[in-house]
Amino acid sequence: MKTSIVLFGALREADASGAVELDVPAGSTMAELRELLVAHLAAQAPQVSAGLVRRCAFATDEEILHNHRKVPAGVALAVLPPVSGG
Amino acid sequence: MDGLHVAVVERRVATLDVALALDFVADPRFGGIASFIGRVRDHNVGRSVTSISYDLFVPLALNQFRAIAERALAEVGAPLKLWIAHAKGDLAIGDLAVVVAAGTPHRDEAFRACRLAIEAVKHESPIWKQEHYIDGDSAWSEGCSLCEDDRQFTHAHSHAAHGHDR
Repeated sequence: MKTSIVLFGALREADASGAVELDVPAGSTMAELRELLVAHLAAQAPQVSAGLVRRCAFATDEEILHNHRKVPAGVALAVLPPVSGG
Repeated sequence: MDGLHVAVVERRVATLDVALALDFVADPRFGGIASFIGRVRDHNVGRSVTSISYDLFVPLALNQFRAIAERALAEVGAPLKLWIAHAKGDLAIGDLAVVVAAGTPHRDEAFRACRLAIEAVKHESPIWKQEHYIDGDSAWSEGCSLCEDDRQFTHAHSHAAHGHDR
């Protein structure tokens, strides 16, 4: 299934459109999604460090989805680099 | 939670308003009001900063602010009014980046609620700071991972160990 992932912070530089779309096998976990994103960016945006992507979390508009959670179908996700508010 | 105001304010539209925050958390029951004001400073880690930009994932940030407020209410165990507002966009030196205000019956509860809220805003909310330096370079702050494995690792260590603001 196609999953759209909106980019924030340092990851905005990975794609000028502000988002990437990945083909994600049904039943994948967030941890597996992270590795798909690492591979996608390694090919499409080699300036982005894999270490940074591995420190990112994923979220919907409402909550952070931790590693064991399944990738929800038909929901746009956001990828959250380490945060630095305040 | 009643008595809660959360906001993300686009800098082009408005600045954060401390007086409004203090008014909002005032209440005849409350003898203690504590506030925290975060402003943009002109240096970081030995580099001269000329301005900063804040990127936020707004719907999740507002949801997190509301969850933080519920935690603060449970933690202080007293009536509480809370204001949490964060700026978004391009900010100049001296601009207000974040305002937290807490009103409670007594000062200890107000200080604790305010401290809990600002720490959670800094360490847990989807907000990213990009610094612009005097030499024309820019960099995103290193920050605090929201990824659970990483959090377990970093929380076993001092926050100072991964080099971000305290």
